[in-house]
Parts: sequence; C-alpha cells; structure tokens
Amino acid sequence: MSLLIQTLARVMLAPILMVALAVLVKGYADVGDGFAAGAIAALAILLQYVAFGREETERRLPIRLLPAGAFVAMLLALTIAAAPMIAGEALLTYPPGAGEEAIHLGTLELIGAFAFDVTIFVLVVGAALGIIHAIAREAEHVEAESP
Amino acid sequence: MPDDSTGRAAAQDVPAWAAIALAAAGFCATLWAWSQGGGAVELPWAPSLDLRLRFELDGLGALYTLLATGVGLAVFVYAASYLPAHLAYQRRPASHAPRFYGLLVLFMVSMAGLATAQDLIALFVFWDLTAVASYFLIAYDRHEAPSRWAALMALLVTGISAVLLLIGALLLYAEYGTFSVPELFERARPGATLTLAGALIAVAALAKSAQVPLHFWLPRAMTAPTPVSAYLHSAAMVAAGVLLLGRLYPLIEPSELLLDGLIVIGATSIAVGGVIALTRDDMKQLLAYSTFSQYGYVVFLYGLGGAKAAVAASFYVISHALAKSALFLTAGAVTESTGGSRRLSEVGGLARELPLLAAASAAAVAAIVALPLTVGFFADELFFAAALEHGPWAAGIAVAAAGLTFAYLGRFWAAIFLGTRTQAQRLPLTLLVPVAALGACVTAAGVWPEPVASLAAAAGESSVREPAAADVAYHLDTRAENLMALGAWAIGLTLLAVPALWRRAAGAVAGAGAAAGPERLYGGVLRLLNRLSDRVHDLEVRDLRARVAAVLVPAGALVLVGFIATPTAGLYHVGEIGSRDAGLVLMLALACAAAVAATLPRKHLTLTLVLATLGFVLAGVYAFFGAPDVALVAVVVETLLALLVFGVLALVPAKVLRREAGVQTRGSRRWRDPLIGVLSGTFAFVLAWGALSRPAPERSVAAEHVALAPDAHAKDVVTAILADFRGLDTLGEVTVVAVGLIGVVGLLRRGRLW
Repeated sequence: MSLLIQTLARVMLAPILMVALAVLVKGYADVGDGFAAGAIAALAILLQYVAFGREETERRLPIRLLPAGAFVAMLLALTIAAAPMIAGEALLTYPPGAGEEAIHLGTLELIGAFAFDVTIFVLVVGAALGIIHAIAREAEHVEAESP
Repeated sequence: MPDDSTGRAAAQDVPAWAAIALAAAGFCATLWAWSQGGGAVELPWAPSLDLRLRFELDGLGALYTLLATGVGLAVFVYAASYLPAHLAYQRRPASHAPRFYGLLVLFMVSMAGLATAQDLIALFVFWDLTAVASYFLIAYDRHEAPSRWAALMALLVTGISAVLLLIGALLLYAEYGTFSVPELFERARPGATLTLAGALIAVAALAKSAQVPLHFWLPRAMTAPTPVSAYLHSAAMVAAGVLLLGRLYPLIEPSELLLDGLIVIGATSIAVGGVIALTRDDMKQLLAYSTFSQYGYVVFLYGLGGAKAAVAASFYVISHALAKSALFLTAGAVTESTGGSRRLSEVGGLARELPLLAAASAAAVAAIVALPLTVGFFADELFFAAALEHGPWAAGIAVAAAGLTFAYLGRFWAAIFLGTRTQAQRLPLTLLVPVAALGACVTAAGVWPEPVASLAAAAGESSVREPAAADVAYHLDTRAENLMALGAWAIGLTLLAVPALWRRAAGAVAGAGAAAGPERLYGGVLRLLNRLSDRVHDLEVRDLRARVAAVLVPAGALVLVGFIATPTAGLYHVGEIGSRDAGLVLMLALACAAAVAATLPRKHLTLTLVLATLGFVLAGVYAFFGAPDVALVAVVVETLLALLVFGVLALVPAKVLRREAGVQTRGSRRWRDPLIGVLSGTFAFVLAWGALSRPAPERSVAAEHVALAPDAHAKDVVTAILADFRGLDTLGEVTVVAVGLIGVVGLLRRGRLW
C-alpha cells in the first residue's frame, strides 16, 4: 500500500473518530445520530485495515472486544427500552418528560434518548468491525491457498 | 485419588439433590397450603390485553400439584441413581446430567402452574411449557435417531393441538370478553360458540392425554429414559390432558354432543390400548399402551357427566398415577438389574432375586386391576358406580375394560416375576425405595382411603361447581359394584389363563394399527409437507435472479391490481419545475443514468462501483430534497457497504469471478429477466408517482412529529423520530444489524467472533 495512503490513514484516524463523536453527541441538535456516527467510526477503522492490513491494525488499535460489545450494546438497548415498563410507563419512555428541565453540560443536554443512541452507536461500530474482521481473516486464507 | 473422585461425584449429585429438595419442598408446601384451605394469588400480567395471572389452589389444583411434586419426588430419587448408570452405559460425560434435572424441574414447575392457573392464556403458556420440557426429555439421548423422531412427533402432535386450545380461548374471549376461567363459567351460555370452543379445547386435551386417534406419539415417546417415562408419560404430562378437561368441564358439559364424543373416544382408547397392550413384548411399550387405555377410563368418566363421574375421574387419576409410575420404575429397575433386557420374553422368575421390587410392583398392579386393600379398588368402585348410573351399556363397557386391564397387567407382572429364572443383579436401594414408597402409598390408601377421597371430592367439586363427595368403603354384600368387580376379575383371569382366546384377534388389531393407523398418516403428512417445502424452496432459490423475481413479480402484480381497483382521476399529475429544483433534477437524471449503466458491466468489481455510484447519487437526491440526515447516513453506509463487497469479492477465487463474468444468458432467460425488470420498475414508478401526487393531509404524521420534537428535548426531528417516537422500529432495525453480524460470523468463521 502506498505511503500516501498510510500517512493519510494515520493522520485522519483521530479527526474522523472526532467527527463521529460529534455527530453522535450533537445528534439531538443537528444532523446525525448514533447510527450515522457508528458508520463513520466504522469507516475510520476500515480505512486502517485498508492501509495497514489486518494484523497491523489489530495490533495497534484496542478493538478486540468491540464485536462482543455489539451484543452487550444490544442487551443494553433492550434494557433501556424495557426499563420504563417496570415503573408502569410505556416502552421507550425517556426521562426527562415533556416540559421538564434537562440537565445541561455546557450546551449539551443530558436526556434519556441519548443513552439509547449511544448503544446504537456501539452496536453499529461493533457489528461493522466484526464483519470486517471476519472477511479480512478469511481473505488471508484465500490468498494463502491461491498465490 | 479417591478423595478427588468422591468429591467430584458429590459435586455431580448436587443438581439431583437440588431437584429432590425442590420437589419435596413443593410437595410439603402444597400439602400445607391445601390443609389451610387453599388460597389464590392474583398478579397483573398485561393489563392492556386484559390478562391477569391468577393462580388458585382449589381441589383440582391441589390434586395435580401434589401429583406433580409427589411423583416427581419419587422419580427424582430414582433418577439420582438411574441417570449416572444410564450415562455411563452410553459413554456420555456426567456433565450431561444437570440438563436432565433442569428439564425435569422445569416440567414440574410448569405442571404446577398449569394445575393452578385460572386464566386461559396462562393455561396455554404452561401447557406449551410442559410440551417443550417433554420434547427435550424424550430426545435426551439425542445421538439416537428414534429418540429425536419420537420427540418431534410428541411435540408436533401435542403442540399443534395446543394451538386449538388457543383458538378455543380466543373464541371464548371474542364471545364473552374474558380469559378468566371463573368469569367464563359465569358468563358462558350453551350455544354454537361454546360447543365449538369446547370441542377445540377437548381435542387439545385428548391429544395431550394420548387418546385415540392421537395416541401414537405416546408409545414412541418410550425411547426416553425411564424416569421421564414414569414421570411425564404416565403420571404428569399425559394427565395434563384430563386436567384440562376437569378444569374447563363447565364449558364442555352443556353440550351433549361433546360428552358423547368423550365417551366414544374414551371407550375406543380403552379398547385399542388394552388390546394392543396384550400383544406387546417390550415392557415400556406395554405400559405406554396401558397408560392411554387407563386415561381412556378418565375421559370416559368425564363423558358420562355429573358430579359422581367427575369425582370418580379425579380419584382414578390419583390411583393410576401412583401405580403406573411405580410400574414404569419397576420396568426400568428390571432392565437395570438384568443388564439391559427390555422385553418380557427375556426375563422371568425375578421374584426370588428382587423380592422387594416384586412386592411393590404387585401392589401397583393390584391397584390398577382394582384388587381390595389397594386404592385402585375404590377407584374402580367409583368407576363402576358412575357407569351404572348411566345405564347398562356403560356398565358393560366398564366391566369389559376392567377385565382387559386385569389381563394385560397380570401378564406383565407374571412374565417378569414368575416362571423360569433369569440372571439378575442386586439393585441399589435408591432404585428400589421409590417403587416401594409408591407401592406403600397405594396399599396405605387402600386401607385408609379418606385423604384420597376428600382430595378427589374437592377436585370433582372444582370441575362441576357443586358439592360432591366420594363415598368409598368396603361393603361385604352383593351390591352391583362388587358383582361388577368380580365379573371383571373373572374375565381377566379367563383371558390370562387362555391366551388362545385373544392372541389371533389382538395380533390382528395391532397389525392393522401398524399397517393403516394414524401413525402412518402422520408420517405420510410429514413427508408430504417436507416434499412441498423442498419444491417451493427449489422454485424460489434456483438462482439469485429467480429469487429476486419471486419478490418483484408478486409485488408488481399487487400494484397492478391496486392500480386497476382504485380510481385514478386527479392522480398522476406533473407538478411544476422551477429554477430552484435544478439541482434535484440534475441528480435524478444522474440517478437514472447510473441505474441504466448498472445493467451494462460484466465484471463484478465494476458492477459494485457503478451500484455505489448510484447510491451516492441517490444520497445527493436526498440532500437536495431537504433530508440531510438521510443523505449523511446514505453516503456513509454506501461507502461501508461498497468496501465490504470488495472484501467479499476478494474471498471468491479469481477464476470463479472470471468464469461468472463470462457467462452468457441463454434462451428464454434473455428476454425474461429484462421483462421482469422493466415491469416491476414500471409498477414501482407508477406507485411512487401516485403516492407523491396526493395532496398532503392537513395534519400529517410528519407535522405531528415536528410539533412534538421540543417535548422530546430534541432540536433535530429526525433523531427524535429515530430514537424516541419510532424507537421500537429502530430497536428492530439494529437487531437486524446484530443478527447480520451473527450470520456473517457463523458463515465465515464458524461462530468465532474474533
């Protein structure tokens, strides 16, 4: 792989992840949401795979547990969705309710729906990474068999 | 390392002891609660669906819960020493044991739930849970094909008929507006709906109790380990059918037709089961045929109708469950002791070697054939009395049935314990004690029948909703019941002494059943369904194009029907295109060009790129249409997918890709595929045009969402829709993503996630 792409990939990783985070966090005020943010982050990691190859990428980035994290996130999303039912409210009711004041961190509003969005973010990144990893691993076998 | 191995053995025993403790605790708790006068628990379940979880320990509930936990206790103790030997014999690791106890306990709990549930939906759920536990328990020896076949058969027969129970419940709900059993009893009025619902419920119950013609699964289910046969397929699960009849008796009783049906099916089951049991050589097979014959008695009694018969039915269930589970355990113990003999012809003369087993099973046999000093005598006394009340023909059937039972069970016991001796080993006490305890129970209840009688009377009361009593006592006089019992024994002894009387005829019945019975029908239907499914599958997935066409052609046809059926005036008008729409029009033109271009390339890589281009152009369309959220996701996902498709193409050998790229479409396919494409494209176009031409409604869902967004603390409506308003949809969609991961990992990496 050319030096240009490798350099680009190395330099771009942090900014792309930053954009992904921004899309996730600002989703409630602006364009974007957990799904889009997850796909952007997955693209950032995929770029590393393309530029450096599987082994190098997986050695450099702490991504081993992300595919399993997808299932954890799935369970969390289900929990968040079902939790209001314990209190006798409808499925997927988030605090704070309509008209109530949310907690602010600067301009960021902490609302229940954001937690749900975060689980979707993790799920999308994890699932995409799991699929990328599976394809990359198998591609190595194919290359090894037919040089 | 003796210490280590005993330690491990002790650890392996933990599930068994836990199950035993649970059964004992359940039994004692039920006994205590019943002595305190029962009681009821009511919990809300799904209020919006009008569902409540109501459990009540009435007579029926107490009876069947006590049976499930009491017989369960005996069987678990037995299993604790049976299962290790069973696993060792099949060379399976001891780690297979906890599953067994877990399923047995699951069954016990669902049986207790079924016995006490007072809500049709809860009944249905527990009903199916017992079937699920039974499925896994029958197939416990899962490496053996007959076990799997038998498990599937039991599941299909009892599971499909269970759907009838659900349909019956829904019919009743539609008519009377409640699932609650006591409320239904108050509201139900005789009529066509009640008869239909009652019939559906009765069919489910009869299939569960293995009544003719849905009896064939029970003998097959004998491939299960003996404790399972003794527990599920004699005392508990098969009893669930008659439990349901007893529980919903007031819904069935108003219809003479249904009661007559029950009499016919009960009598047929007695006859078919009894006659075939006479001919069986395999011990457990004989007992299986005997079991559904005996439940035929109970069904027959419910069919006779009235308080007396309902009490007699409940009494019979107790007596039979105790005795029959003892006999199953006897069969297992004999097999264990003789090193694997399962057939009556292979064993004999074991009374000397296994005196305790012989005595206990003699008591059990005596109970079923209704000899005095056993609980069975009273069971038959009540049975005869109820039959007499109904008329001479019912009494005749009752005597003949009892005689038949006498004959085949006499044959069973005599063949094992009398005659020429075979080699037998001593048995561990834990295998004998449960049989002895059950034998002691039937004799004790034969001397002191009051507890059983009062329980049966209470159960009968909960069925017929009026005071009932079980008057049982020994009378040394020539009353009709005593004479009928004497007659039955005489018939039984004659049949036993002169086998030539029945051998040919019984053999013919068994042969006819095997050649043209309902089991053949079941096998035929199953094969037919398999073949049909294969044909449909072949038709649909012959190749990718056929598969796509299988979706597009019916969808196109539906649109065509819709187009013809709905008025089209005012639709399909061309709007105005202004200078502000230039970007959008340009993008749409590009999209059209990309779509046409996608039909041209022959190389996979090029095709992927062209399709990705189409995706990007569509993202541009969204952007110009004022949907930046959608455009963003479209661009990102399109990139990701295109790259992943490249990765997948790398997995296919280059040779294959080259060959596939060079394939020419031939013959009819050349015209068929473009035709399908053009037609479905046209229909999609017409549909979209028609939908977009409709004037927007005053207050659309979209406007509603925009208005609600501030309440959800969102400034971006799309995000609020995805995460909040339509959050359930999103949950479903991300589940698809997770399932996709499972699929890819399963196909490419055999389930290894990393």
